[in-house]
Amino acid sequence: MAEGFDIDHLAKLARLSLTAEEKALYSSQLNSILGHFQALAQADLPATIDDARVVRESALRSDVPGPSLGAAAVTRIAPAARDGQISVPRVVDDEA
Amino acid sequence: MSSSAEWEVVIGLEVHVQLHTRAKVFASSSWGFGQEPNEQVDPVVLGLPGTLPVVNREAVEKSILFGLVVGAEIPARCAWDRKNYFYPDNPKNYQLTQKDFPVVIGGSVEIELPGPSRNVMGEHKRVRIHHAHLEEDVGKLSHAGSGSLVDYNRAGVPLLEIVTEPDLRSSAEAEAFLRSLVAMLTQAGVADCDMEKGQLRCDCNVSIRHPGAPLGTRTETKNLNSISSVRDTVIYETARQIRELEAGRAITQETRGWNAELGRGYVLRDKEDAHDYRYFPDPDIPTLELSRATVERLAKQVPENLYDRQRRYMDTLGLPFTAASVLVANRELAEWFEAAVAAHPANPQGLANLVANDLLRDLAAASGAPTGFEEAAPAPVSLASCPIKPAQLAGLVKLTDDGVISKQQAKEVFAEMFKSGQDAAAIVDAKGLRQNSDTGELEKIVQEVIADPAVAKSIAEYRAGNEKAINALKGPIMKRTQGKANPGLIDQLLRKALG
Repeated sequence: MAEGFDIDHLAKLARLSLTAEEKALYSSQLNSILGHFQALAQADLPATIDDARVVRESALRSDVPGPSLGAAAVTRIAPAARDGQISVPRVVDDEA
Repeated sequence: MSSSAEWEVVIGLEVHVQLHTRAKVFASSSWGFGQEPNEQVDPVVLGLPGTLPVVNREAVEKSILFGLVVGAEIPARCAWDRKNYFYPDNPKNYQLTQKDFPVVIGGSVEIELPGPSRNVMGEHKRVRIHHAHLEEDVGKLSHAGSGSLVDYNRAGVPLLEIVTEPDLRSSAEAEAFLRSLVAMLTQAGVADCDMEKGQLRCDCNVSIRHPGAPLGTRTETKNLNSISSVRDTVIYETARQIRELEAGRAITQETRGWNAELGRGYVLRDKEDAHDYRYFPDPDIPTLELSRATVERLAKQVPENLYDRQRRYMDTLGLPFTAASVLVANRELAEWFEAAVAAHPANPQGLANLVANDLLRDLAAASGAPTGFEEAAPAPVSLASCPIKPAQLAGLVKLTDDGVISKQQAKEVFAEMFKSGQDAAAIVDAKGLRQNSDTGELEKIVQEVIADPAVAKSIAEYRAGNEKAINALKGPIMKRTQGKANPGLIDQLLRKALG
Protein backbone atom coordinates (compact mmCIF):
# COMPACT_ATOMS: atom_id res chain seq x y z
CA MET A 1 0.00 0.00 0.00
CA ALA A 2 0.98 3.61 -0.51
CA GLU A 3 2.51 4.78 2.74
CA GLY A 4 2.12 8.52 2.14
CA PHE A 5 2.14 9.28 5.82
CA ASP A 6 3.85 8.64 9.12
CA ILE A 7 1.23 7.57 11.67
CA ASP A 8 3.36 8.69 14.63
CA HIS A 9 3.81 12.16 13.15
CA LEU A 10 0.10 12.49 12.38
CA ALA A 11 -0.82 11.39 15.89
CA LYS A 12 1.56 13.96 17.31
CA LEU A 13 0.09 16.76 15.17
CA ALA A 14 -3.41 15.76 16.27
CA ARG A 15 -2.25 15.51 19.88
CA LEU A 16 -3.46 11.94 20.13
CA SER A 17 -1.65 9.23 22.05
CA LEU A 18 -2.35 5.96 20.26
CA THR A 19 -1.75 2.37 21.27
CA ALA A 20 0.05 0.01 18.91
CA GLU A 21 -3.30 -1.59 18.03
CA GLU A 22 -4.85 1.80 17.26
CA LYS A 23 -1.87 2.80 15.12
CA ALA A 24 -2.26 -0.36 13.07
CA LEU A 25 -6.02 0.11 12.74
CA TYR A 26 -5.83 3.80 11.76
CA SER A 27 -2.93 3.20 9.38
CA SER A 28 -4.98 0.66 7.53
CA GLN A 29 -8.05 2.93 7.48
CA LEU A 30 -6.01 5.94 6.31
CA ASN A 31 -4.43 3.84 3.58
CA SER A 32 -7.87 2.86 2.41
CA ILE A 33 -8.99 6.50 2.35
CA LEU A 34 -5.85 7.55 0.47
CA GLY A 35 -6.52 4.77 -2.00
CA HIS A 36 -9.90 6.35 -2.80
CA PHE A 37 -8.23 9.71 -3.34
CA GLN A 38 -5.68 8.15 -5.66
CA ALA A 39 -8.55 6.78 -7.69
CA LEU A 40 -10.17 10.23 -7.77
CA ALA A 41 -6.88 11.83 -8.78
CA GLN A 42 -6.74 9.61 -11.84
CA ALA A 43 -10.14 10.74 -13.11
CA ASP A 44 -10.06 12.73 -16.34
CA LEU A 45 -11.52 16.07 -15.30
CA PRO A 46 -12.15 19.17 -17.40
CA ALA A 47 -9.61 21.94 -16.80
CA THR A 48 -12.41 24.40 -15.95
CA ILE A 49 -13.44 22.51 -12.82
CA ASP A 50 -12.36 25.43 -10.66
CA ASP A 51 -15.01 27.69 -12.22
CA ALA A 52 -17.69 25.63 -10.53
CA ARG A 53 -16.28 26.87 -7.26
CA VAL A 54 -16.28 30.54 -8.15
CA VAL A 55 -18.86 32.93 -6.77
CA ARG A 56 -19.35 36.64 -7.35
CA GLU A 57 -19.63 39.31 -4.73
CA SER A 58 -23.39 38.86 -4.52
CA ALA A 59 -22.63 35.71 -2.53
CA LEU A 60 -21.01 37.76 0.22
CA ARG A 61 -22.68 38.49 3.54
CA SER A 62 -23.46 42.05 4.53
CA ASP A 63 -21.75 43.46 7.61
CA VAL A 64 -24.72 43.20 9.94
CA PRO A 65 -24.14 41.72 13.39
CA GLY A 66 -26.35 38.79 14.32
CA PRO A 67 -27.08 37.04 17.60
CA SER A 68 -24.46 35.38 19.76
CA LEU A 69 -24.82 32.14 21.65
CA GLY A 70 -23.90 33.65 24.99
CA ALA A 71 -21.10 32.50 27.27
CA ALA A 72 -23.31 30.01 29.12
CA ALA A 73 -24.10 28.13 25.90
CA VAL A 74 -20.45 28.19 24.83
CA THR A 75 -19.10 26.84 28.10
CA ARG A 76 -21.87 24.23 28.41
CA ILE A 77 -20.42 22.26 25.48
CA ALA A 78 -16.86 22.44 26.82
CA PRO A 79 -15.42 19.66 29.00
CA ALA A 80 -14.45 22.21 31.64
CA ALA A 81 -15.15 25.88 32.22
CA ARG A 82 -14.42 28.65 34.68
CA ASP A 83 -15.65 32.25 34.89
CA GLY A 84 -17.36 32.10 31.51
CA GLN A 85 -14.22 30.76 29.86
CA ILE A 86 -13.25 27.35 28.60
CA SER A 87 -10.69 25.72 30.83
CA VAL A 88 -7.87 23.70 29.25
CA PRO A 89 -4.60 22.23 30.47
CA ARG A 90 -1.97 24.95 30.62
CA VAL A 91 -0.56 25.76 27.20
CA VAL A 92 2.41 28.03 27.36
CA ASP A 93 4.31 29.99 24.84
CA ASP A 94 5.61 32.54 27.28
CA GLU A 95 9.15 32.75 28.54
CA ALA A 96 10.22 29.35 29.84
CA MET B 1 38.66 41.40 12.01
CA SER B 2 34.95 42.01 12.11
CA SER B 3 33.24 44.96 13.64
CA SER B 4 29.57 45.86 14.09
CA ALA B 5 29.89 48.61 11.51
CA GLU B 6 30.26 46.01 8.79
CA TRP B 7 26.93 44.35 9.51
CA GLU B 8 23.70 45.23 7.82
CA VAL B 9 20.39 44.28 9.40
CA VAL B 10 17.59 43.07 7.14
CA ILE B 11 14.03 43.29 8.49
CA GLY B 12 10.71 42.08 7.16
CA LEU B 13 7.43 42.56 9.00
CA GLU B 14 4.14 40.68 9.07
CA VAL B 15 1.56 43.10 10.39
CA HIS B 16 -1.79 41.75 11.56
CA VAL B 17 -4.50 44.37 11.53
CA GLN B 18 -8.07 43.96 12.74
CA LEU B 19 -10.29 45.49 10.06
CA HIS B 20 -12.93 48.06 10.88
CA THR B 21 -16.14 46.00 10.57
CA ARG B 22 -19.14 45.39 12.80
CA ALA B 23 -19.49 41.63 12.28
CA LYS B 24 -16.84 38.92 12.13
CA VAL B 25 -15.22 37.87 8.86
CA PHE B 26 -16.98 34.53 8.22
CA ALA B 27 -19.76 34.74 10.82
CA SER B 28 -22.37 37.29 11.79
CA SER B 29 -21.35 37.56 15.43
CA SER B 30 -20.41 41.07 16.46
CA TRP B 31 -17.00 41.88 17.92
CA GLY B 32 -15.42 44.62 19.94
CA PHE B 33 -13.02 45.24 22.76
CA GLY B 34 -13.99 44.97 26.41
CA GLN B 35 -16.88 42.49 26.24
CA GLU B 36 -17.39 39.71 28.78
CA PRO B 37 -15.60 36.47 27.71
CA ASN B 38 -17.34 34.29 25.12
CA GLU B 39 -20.30 36.65 24.70
CA GLN B 40 -19.44 37.32 21.04
CA VAL B 41 -19.44 33.80 19.74
CA ASP B 42 -21.84 32.02 17.41
CA PRO B 43 -21.97 28.48 15.97
CA VAL B 44 -19.94 29.45 12.87
CA VAL B 45 -17.14 30.88 15.01
CA LEU B 46 -16.99 27.61 16.95
CA GLY B 47 -17.15 25.56 13.75
CA LEU B 48 -20.06 23.51 15.08
CA PRO B 49 -21.37 20.72 12.82
CA GLY B 50 -23.70 21.94 10.10
CA THR B 51 -22.43 25.51 10.04
CA LEU B 52 -20.97 27.21 6.99
CA PRO B 53 -18.74 30.27 6.86
CA VAL B 54 -19.86 33.10 4.54
CA VAL B 55 -17.44 35.91 3.80
CA ASN B 56 -18.25 39.40 5.09
CA ARG B 57 -18.38 41.86 2.17
CA GLU B 58 -17.11 44.75 4.29
CA ALA B 59 -14.00 42.80 5.30
CA VAL B 60 -13.23 42.08 1.64
CA GLU B 61 -13.82 45.70 0.65
CA LYS B 62 -11.65 47.05 3.48
CA SER B 63 -8.89 44.69 2.32
CA ILE B 64 -9.21 45.90 -1.27
CA LEU B 65 -9.22 49.51 -0.04
CA PHE B 66 -5.93 48.86 1.75
CA GLY B 67 -4.52 47.44 -1.48
CA LEU B 68 -5.57 50.54 -3.38
CA VAL B 69 -4.07 52.81 -0.70
CA VAL B 70 -0.66 51.17 -1.18
CA GLY B 71 -0.97 50.95 -4.96
CA ALA B 72 -1.18 47.16 -5.01
CA GLU B 73 -2.64 44.85 -7.60
CA ILE B 74 -6.13 43.58 -6.79
CA PRO B 75 -6.31 40.16 -8.45
CA ALA B 76 -9.46 39.05 -10.26
CA ARG B 77 -9.92 36.18 -7.84
CA CYS B 78 -9.04 35.35 -4.27
CA ALA B 79 -9.55 32.15 -2.27
CA TRP B 80 -9.31 30.80 1.27
CA ASP B 81 -7.35 27.88 2.70
CA ARG B 82 -7.36 25.92 5.90
CA LYS B 83 -4.26 26.19 8.05
CA ASN B 84 -4.46 23.15 10.28
CA TYR B 85 -3.11 23.11 13.81
CA PHE B 86 -4.27 21.93 17.19
CA TYR B 87 -4.17 24.63 19.80
CA PRO B 88 -6.90 25.83 22.16
CA ASP B 89 -6.96 29.38 20.71
CA ASN B 90 -8.55 27.87 17.65
CA PRO B 91 -11.99 26.25 18.07
CA LYS B 92 -12.08 24.55 14.65
CA ASN B 93 -8.52 23.15 14.70
CA TYR B 94 -7.87 25.15 11.58
CA GLN B 95 -7.63 28.82 10.80
CA LEU B 96 -9.26 30.17 7.66
CA THR B 97 -6.61 32.13 5.79
CA GLN B 98 -5.45 32.84 2.24
CA LYS B 99 -2.30 31.02 1.20
CA ASP B 100 -2.09 30.94 -2.59
CA PHE B 101 -4.63 33.52 -3.71
CA PRO B 102 -4.50 36.58 -1.44
CA VAL B 103 -6.75 39.58 -1.93
CA VAL B 104 -3.86 42.05 -2.27
CA ILE B 105 -0.60 41.56 -4.20
CA GLY B 106 2.34 43.96 -4.17
CA GLY B 107 2.23 47.70 -3.54
CA SER B 108 4.46 49.86 -1.37
CA VAL B 109 4.37 52.18 1.60
CA GLU B 110 6.27 55.46 1.64
CA ILE B 111 8.03 56.12 4.94
CA GLU B 112 9.72 59.15 6.44
CA LEU B 113 12.77 58.74 8.65
CA PRO B 114 13.50 61.13 11.51
CA GLY B 115 15.40 64.21 10.33
CA PRO B 116 18.62 65.58 11.86
CA SER B 117 16.45 67.77 14.09
CA ARG B 118 12.78 68.06 14.90
CA ASN B 119 12.09 70.77 12.37
CA VAL B 120 14.04 69.25 9.48
CA MET B 121 12.39 66.61 7.30
CA GLY B 122 14.16 63.25 7.18
CA GLU B 123 14.82 60.97 4.25
CA HIS B 124 11.89 59.27 2.48
CA LYS B 125 11.95 55.71 1.19
CA ARG B 126 9.55 53.12 -0.15
CA VAL B 127 8.96 49.75 1.49
CA ARG B 128 7.50 47.11 -0.78
CA ILE B 129 4.51 45.03 0.26
CA HIS B 130 4.73 41.40 -0.80
CA HIS B 131 1.02 40.71 -0.35
CA ALA B 132 -1.82 41.02 2.16
CA HIS B 133 -4.27 38.26 2.95
CA LEU B 134 -7.61 38.23 4.72
CA GLU B 135 -7.92 35.73 7.55
CA GLU B 136 -9.64 35.21 10.86
CA ASP B 137 -8.18 36.15 14.21
CA VAL B 138 -7.92 33.45 16.87
CA GLY B 139 -9.17 33.28 20.46
CA LYS B 140 -7.38 34.69 23.44
CA LEU B 141 -5.66 32.52 26.04
CA SER B 142 -4.91 33.58 29.55
CA HIS B 143 -2.81 31.47 31.82
CA ALA B 144 -3.81 30.83 35.39
CA GLY B 145 -1.94 28.35 37.55
CA SER B 146 -1.91 24.88 36.05
CA GLY B 147 -4.57 25.71 33.50
CA SER B 148 -5.31 28.09 30.66
CA LEU B 149 -8.60 29.87 30.02
CA VAL B 150 -9.99 30.42 26.53
CA ASP B 151 -12.07 33.36 25.36
CA TYR B 152 -13.33 33.06 21.78
CA ASN B 153 -14.59 36.64 21.44
CA ARG B 154 -11.59 37.48 19.27
CA ALA B 155 -11.88 34.29 17.19
CA GLY B 156 -13.20 35.14 13.75
CA VAL B 157 -12.43 38.87 13.88
CA PRO B 158 -11.37 39.98 10.39
CA LEU B 159 -7.60 40.16 10.28
CA LEU B 160 -5.59 41.51 7.36
CA GLU B 161 -2.05 40.18 7.41
CA ILE B 162 0.23 42.60 5.60
CA VAL B 163 3.56 41.06 4.63
CA THR B 164 6.46 43.30 3.62
CA GLU B 165 9.46 42.48 1.49
CA PRO B 166 12.70 42.44 3.54
CA ASP B 167 13.28 46.11 2.67
CA LEU B 168 13.79 47.60 6.13
CA ARG B 169 17.37 48.23 7.27
CA SER B 170 17.16 49.62 10.81
CA SER B 171 14.96 49.86 13.87
CA ALA B 172 14.23 53.47 12.88
CA GLU B 173 12.99 52.30 9.47
CA ALA B 174 10.80 49.63 11.07
CA GLU B 175 9.32 52.24 13.39
CA ALA B 176 8.80 54.73 10.55
CA PHE B 177 7.13 52.03 8.46
CA LEU B 178 4.66 51.16 11.20
CA ARG B 179 3.82 54.80 11.87
CA SER B 180 3.24 55.40 8.17
CA LEU B 181 1.19 52.21 7.80
CA VAL B 182 -0.98 53.08 10.81
CA ALA B 183 -1.60 56.57 9.42
CA MET B 184 -2.62 55.15 6.04
CA LEU B 185 -4.88 52.47 7.52
CA THR B 186 -6.65 54.86 9.87
CA GLN B 187 -6.94 57.73 7.37
CA ALA B 188 -8.58 55.42 4.83
CA GLY B 189 -10.93 53.99 7.48
CA VAL B 190 -9.57 50.47 6.90
CA ALA B 191 -8.71 49.87 10.55
CA ASP B 192 -8.50 51.72 13.86
CA CYS B 193 -5.07 50.25 14.76
CA ASP B 194 -5.57 50.78 18.49
CA MET B 195 -2.53 48.94 19.83
CA GLU B 196 -3.77 49.16 23.41
CA LYS B 197 -6.69 46.98 22.28
CA GLY B 198 -4.48 44.59 20.32
CA GLN B 199 -5.86 45.78 16.99
CA LEU B 200 -2.39 45.74 15.42
CA ARG B 201 0.16 43.03 16.12
CA CYS B 202 3.44 42.33 14.45
CA ASP B 203 5.76 39.45 13.67
CA CYS B 204 9.28 40.69 13.06
CA ASN B 205 11.82 38.83 10.90
CA VAL B 206 15.43 39.85 11.49
CA SER B 207 18.67 38.67 9.93
CA ILE B 208 22.09 40.24 9.52
CA ARG B 209 24.68 40.09 6.75
CA HIS B 210 27.63 41.94 5.36
CA PRO B 211 26.32 44.45 2.80
CA GLY B 212 25.98 42.82 -0.61
CA ALA B 213 26.15 39.28 0.81
CA PRO B 214 23.23 36.84 0.49
CA LEU B 215 20.54 37.06 3.19
CA GLY B 216 21.54 35.57 6.52
CA THR B 217 19.53 33.10 8.60
CA ARG B 218 16.56 34.91 10.08
CA THR B 219 14.68 34.65 13.31
CA GLU B 220 11.02 35.51 13.72
CA THR B 221 9.89 37.31 16.87
CA LYS B 222 6.13 36.88 17.17
CA ASN B 223 3.21 38.81 18.55
CA LEU B 224 4.67 42.26 19.17
CA ASN B 225 1.86 44.57 20.15
CA SER B 226 3.47 48.00 20.08
CA ILE B 227 5.70 50.00 17.79
CA SER B 228 8.25 50.36 20.58
CA SER B 229 8.37 46.57 21.02
CA VAL B 230 9.17 46.16 17.31
CA ARG B 231 11.88 48.81 17.53
CA ASP B 232 13.38 47.27 20.67
CA THR B 233 13.20 43.75 19.21
CA VAL B 234 15.16 44.83 16.14
CA ILE B 235 17.83 46.49 18.29
CA TYR B 236 18.04 43.48 20.61
CA GLU B 237 18.01 40.85 17.89
CA THR B 238 20.59 42.67 15.75
CA ALA B 239 22.99 42.90 18.68
CA ARG B 240 22.39 39.27 19.62
CA GLN B 241 23.00 37.97 16.10
CA ILE B 242 26.19 40.04 15.69
CA ARG B 243 27.43 38.68 19.02
CA GLU B 244 26.67 35.10 17.97
CA LEU B 245 28.30 35.35 14.55
CA GLU B 246 31.35 37.21 15.81
CA ALA B 247 31.81 34.52 18.46
CA GLY B 248 31.89 31.98 15.64
CA ARG B 249 28.45 30.52 16.34
CA ALA B 250 25.65 30.10 13.79
CA ILE B 251 22.21 31.70 13.89
CA THR B 252 19.45 29.16 14.37
CA GLN B 253 16.29 29.76 12.40
CA GLU B 254 13.83 29.97 15.28
CA THR B 255 10.64 31.52 16.54
CA ARG B 256 11.13 33.94 19.37
CA GLY B 257 9.07 35.91 21.85
CA TRP B 258 9.64 39.34 23.34
CA ASN B 259 9.39 40.27 27.00
CA ALA B 260 8.63 43.99 26.88
CA GLU B 261 8.94 44.41 30.64
CA LEU B 262 12.43 42.96 30.79
CA GLY B 263 13.39 44.29 27.36
CA ARG B 264 14.68 40.98 26.10
CA GLY B 265 13.86 38.27 23.60
CA TYR B 266 13.64 34.54 24.21
CA VAL B 267 13.26 31.34 22.24
CA LEU B 268 9.69 30.14 22.07
CA ARG B 269 9.10 26.59 23.04
CA ASP B 270 8.42 24.86 19.78
CA LYS B 271 4.72 24.15 19.31
CA GLU B 272 5.62 20.62 18.25
CA ASP B 273 5.80 20.79 14.48
CA ALA B 274 3.41 23.71 14.41
CA HIS B 275 4.89 24.58 11.05
CA ASP B 276 3.37 21.49 9.50
CA TYR B 277 0.10 23.26 8.79
CA ARG B 278 -1.08 20.97 5.98
CA TYR B 279 -2.78 23.79 4.10
CA PHE B 280 -5.55 22.87 1.68
CA PRO B 281 -8.27 24.89 -0.08
CA ASP B 282 -11.24 25.40 2.20
CA PRO B 283 -14.10 23.39 0.72
CA ASP B 284 -16.77 25.54 2.41
CA ILE B 285 -15.77 28.90 0.94
CA PRO B 286 -15.89 29.21 -2.84
CA THR B 287 -13.26 31.16 -4.74
CA LEU B 288 -14.36 34.79 -4.87
CA GLU B 289 -14.40 36.74 -8.11
CA LEU B 290 -13.81 40.43 -7.47
CA SER B 291 -15.52 42.79 -9.88
CA ARG B 292 -13.62 45.68 -11.45
CA ALA B 293 -16.63 47.88 -10.68
CA THR B 294 -16.09 47.31 -6.96
CA VAL B 295 -12.40 48.08 -7.26
CA GLU B 296 -13.18 51.29 -9.18
CA ARG B 297 -15.80 52.33 -6.61
CA LEU B 298 -13.37 51.76 -3.75
CA ALA B 299 -10.59 53.60 -5.58
CA LYS B 300 -12.66 56.76 -5.17
CA GLN B 301 -12.50 56.35 -1.38
CA VAL B 302 -8.70 56.39 -1.29
CA PRO B 303 -7.67 59.56 0.53
CA GLU B 304 -4.75 61.72 -0.54
CA ASN B 305 -1.53 60.03 0.49
CA LEU B 306 -0.06 61.36 3.73
CA TYR B 307 3.24 62.41 2.15
CA ASP B 308 1.70 63.72 -1.07
CA ARG B 309 -0.34 65.98 1.16
CA GLN B 310 2.75 66.99 3.13
CA ARG B 311 4.65 67.84 -0.09
CA ARG B 312 1.67 69.89 -1.28
CA TYR B 313 1.53 71.82 2.01
CA MET B 314 5.24 72.57 1.86
CA ASP B 315 5.58 73.25 -1.87
CA THR B 316 2.27 74.90 -2.73
CA LEU B 317 1.15 76.44 0.55
CA GLY B 318 4.67 77.26 1.73
CA LEU B 319 4.27 75.65 5.16
CA PRO B 320 7.33 74.72 7.20
CA PHE B 321 7.92 70.97 7.67
CA THR B 322 7.02 71.08 11.37
CA ALA B 323 3.50 72.44 10.78
CA ALA B 324 2.91 70.34 7.63
CA SER B 325 3.90 67.08 9.34
CA VAL B 326 1.64 67.73 12.33
CA LEU B 327 -1.34 68.54 10.11
CA VAL B 328 -1.05 65.57 7.73
CA ALA B 329 -0.74 63.04 10.55
CA ASN B 330 -4.47 63.47 11.19
CA ARG B 331 -6.71 63.44 8.11
CA GLU B 332 -9.58 65.16 9.93
CA LEU B 333 -7.25 67.92 11.12
CA ALA B 334 -5.76 68.33 7.64
CA GLU B 335 -9.21 68.61 6.07
CA TRP B 336 -10.27 71.10 8.75
CA PHE B 337 -7.16 73.16 7.97
CA GLU B 338 -7.89 73.02 4.24
CA ALA B 339 -11.42 74.31 4.83
CA ALA B 340 -9.92 77.26 6.72
CA VAL B 341 -7.45 77.91 3.89
CA ALA B 342 -10.35 77.88 1.43
CA ALA B 343 -12.01 80.63 3.50
CA HIS B 344 -8.81 82.74 3.71
CA PRO B 345 -6.33 81.63 1.03
CA ALA B 346 -3.98 84.59 1.59
CA ASN B 347 -2.21 83.24 4.68
CA PRO B 348 -2.00 79.42 4.96
CA GLN B 349 1.00 79.68 7.26
CA GLY B 350 -0.84 81.89 9.75
CA LEU B 351 -3.70 79.39 9.75
CA ALA B 352 -1.36 76.41 10.05
CA ASN B 353 0.38 77.92 13.07
CA LEU B 354 -2.88 78.36 14.93
CA VAL B 355 -4.17 74.87 13.96
CA ALA B 356 -0.96 72.96 14.64
CA ASN B 357 -0.19 74.73 17.90
CA ASP B 358 -3.12 76.42 19.62
CA LEU B 359 -6.05 74.40 18.28
CA LEU B 360 -4.35 71.04 18.70
CA ARG B 361 -3.19 71.90 22.22
CA ASP B 362 -6.65 73.07 23.31
CA LEU B 363 -8.40 70.09 21.69
CA ALA B 364 -6.04 67.67 23.42
CA ALA B 365 -6.58 69.42 26.74
CA ALA B 366 -10.36 69.42 26.26
CA SER B 367 -10.45 65.69 25.42
CA GLY B 368 -8.12 64.80 28.28
CA ALA B 369 -5.77 63.14 25.79
CA PRO B 370 -2.18 62.88 26.90
CA THR B 371 0.01 65.38 25.09
CA GLY B 372 3.15 63.25 25.14
CA PHE B 373 1.62 60.30 23.29
CA GLU B 374 4.15 57.93 21.87
CA GLU B 375 2.43 55.08 20.08
CA ALA B 376 -0.35 56.65 18.08
CA ALA B 377 0.87 58.17 14.85
CA PRO B 378 -2.15 60.41 14.23
CA ALA B 379 -2.85 63.13 16.73
CA PRO B 380 -5.34 61.63 19.21
CA VAL B 381 -7.96 64.31 18.86
CA SER B 382 -11.30 64.52 17.18
CA LEU B 383 -12.60 67.68 15.60
CA ALA B 384 -16.22 66.58 15.96
CA SER B 385 -16.62 68.63 19.13
CA CYS B 386 -14.31 71.47 18.10
CA PRO B 387 -16.02 74.73 19.17
CA ILE B 388 -14.33 76.71 16.38
CA LYS B 389 -15.35 76.28 12.74
CA PRO B 390 -12.71 76.55 9.98
CA ALA B 391 -14.27 79.75 8.57
CA GLN B 392 -14.15 81.31 12.06
CA LEU B 393 -10.43 80.65 12.34
CA ALA B 394 -10.01 82.13 8.87
CA GLY B 395 -11.85 85.22 10.16
CA LEU B 396 -9.40 85.55 13.05
CA VAL B 397 -6.33 85.29 10.84
CA LYS B 398 -7.83 87.80 8.41
CA LEU B 399 -8.29 90.31 11.26
CA THR B 400 -4.61 89.88 12.14
CA ASP B 401 -3.51 90.13 8.51
CA ASP B 402 -5.53 93.31 8.06
CA GLY B 403 -3.84 94.85 11.08
CA VAL B 404 -7.07 95.08 13.07
CA ILE B 405 -5.52 93.15 15.96
CA SER B 406 -1.94 92.21 16.73
CA LYS B 407 -0.63 88.65 16.69
CA GLN B 408 -0.43 88.74 20.45
CA GLN B 409 -4.08 89.80 20.68
CA ALA B 410 -4.99 87.04 18.22
CA LYS B 411 -3.87 84.47 20.80
CA GLU B 412 -6.18 86.02 23.36
CA VAL B 413 -9.07 86.09 20.89
CA PHE B 414 -8.37 82.48 19.93
CA ALA B 415 -8.62 81.37 23.55
CA GLU B 416 -11.95 83.15 23.85
CA MET B 417 -13.22 81.63 20.58
CA PHE B 418 -12.35 78.15 21.84
CA LYS B 419 -14.29 78.84 25.02
CA SER B 420 -17.39 80.45 23.52
CA GLY B 421 -17.46 79.46 19.84
CA GLN B 422 -18.06 83.11 18.96
CA ASP B 423 -16.72 84.79 15.82
CA ALA B 424 -13.39 86.59 16.18
CA ALA B 425 -14.85 89.95 15.10
CA ALA B 426 -17.53 89.81 17.82
CA ILE B 427 -14.92 89.09 20.49
CA VAL B 428 -12.63 91.85 19.23
CA ASP B 429 -15.50 94.34 19.42
CA ALA B 430 -16.76 93.15 22.79
CA LYS B 431 -13.29 93.41 24.29
CA GLY B 432 -12.50 96.69 22.54
CA LEU B 433 -9.38 95.17 21.03
CA ARG B 434 -9.66 96.76 17.64
CA GLN B 435 -6.35 98.43 16.74
CA ASN B 436 -6.33 102.04 15.73
CA SER B 437 -5.27 102.11 12.11
CA ASP B 438 -6.70 105.54 11.42
CA THR B 439 -3.70 107.15 9.74
CA GLY B 440 -5.00 110.73 10.14
CA GLU B 441 -5.61 110.41 13.86
CA LEU B 442 -2.32 108.60 14.50
CA GLU B 443 -0.37 111.16 12.46
CA LYS B 444 -1.73 113.84 14.75
CA ILE B 445 -0.67 111.96 17.87
CA VAL B 446 2.79 111.33 16.39
CA GLN B 447 3.26 115.05 15.78
CA GLU B 448 2.19 115.85 19.36
CA VAL B 449 4.56 113.28 20.83
CA ILE B 450 7.64 114.31 18.85
CA ALA B 451 6.99 117.94 19.78
CA ASP B 452 7.35 117.04 23.47
CA PRO B 453 10.78 118.25 24.71
CA ALA B 454 11.05 115.14 26.89
CA VAL B 455 11.79 113.01 23.80
CA ALA B 456 14.12 115.47 22.08
CA LYS B 457 17.17 113.45 23.11
CA SER B 458 15.81 110.23 21.59
CA ILE B 459 14.98 112.05 18.37
CA ALA B 460 18.51 113.41 18.17
CA GLU B 461 19.96 109.96 18.76
CA TYR B 462 17.75 108.42 16.10
CA ARG B 463 18.73 111.09 13.61
CA ALA B 464 22.38 110.48 14.51
CA GLY B 465 21.93 106.89 13.33
CA ASN B 466 20.80 105.00 16.45
CA GLU B 467 17.91 102.96 14.98
CA LYS B 468 16.79 101.70 18.38
CA ALA B 469 16.21 105.16 19.73
CA ILE B 470 12.94 105.29 17.79
CA ASN B 471 11.42 102.75 20.17
CA ALA B 472 11.49 105.27 23.00
CA LEU B 473 8.94 107.31 21.03
CA LYS B 474 6.49 104.45 20.58
CA GLY B 475 5.63 104.08 24.28
CA PRO B 476 4.07 107.54 24.65
CA ILE B 477 2.06 107.00 21.44
CA MET B 478 0.74 103.66 22.65
CA LYS B 479 -0.13 105.26 25.97
CA ARG B 480 -2.18 107.99 24.29
CA THR B 481 -4.11 105.39 22.24
CA GLN B 482 -4.68 103.03 25.19
CA GLY B 483 -2.47 100.46 23.45
CA LYS B 484 -4.71 100.17 20.44
CA ALA B 485 -2.46 101.78 17.86
CA ASN B 486 -1.33 99.50 15.07
CA PRO B 487 2.39 99.04 15.90
CA GLY B 488 3.39 98.68 12.26
CA LEU B 489 1.62 101.86 11.33
CA ILE B 490 3.18 103.84 14.21
CA ASP B 491 6.61 102.75 13.13
CA GLN B 492 5.89 103.80 9.58
CA LEU B 493 4.44 107.19 10.56
CA LEU B 494 7.28 107.94 13.01
CA ARG B 495 9.96 107.27 10.43
CA LYS B 496 8.13 109.47 7.96
CA ALA B 497 7.74 112.28 10.49
CA LEU B 498 11.39 112.14 11.58
CA GLY B 499 12.50 112.04 7.93
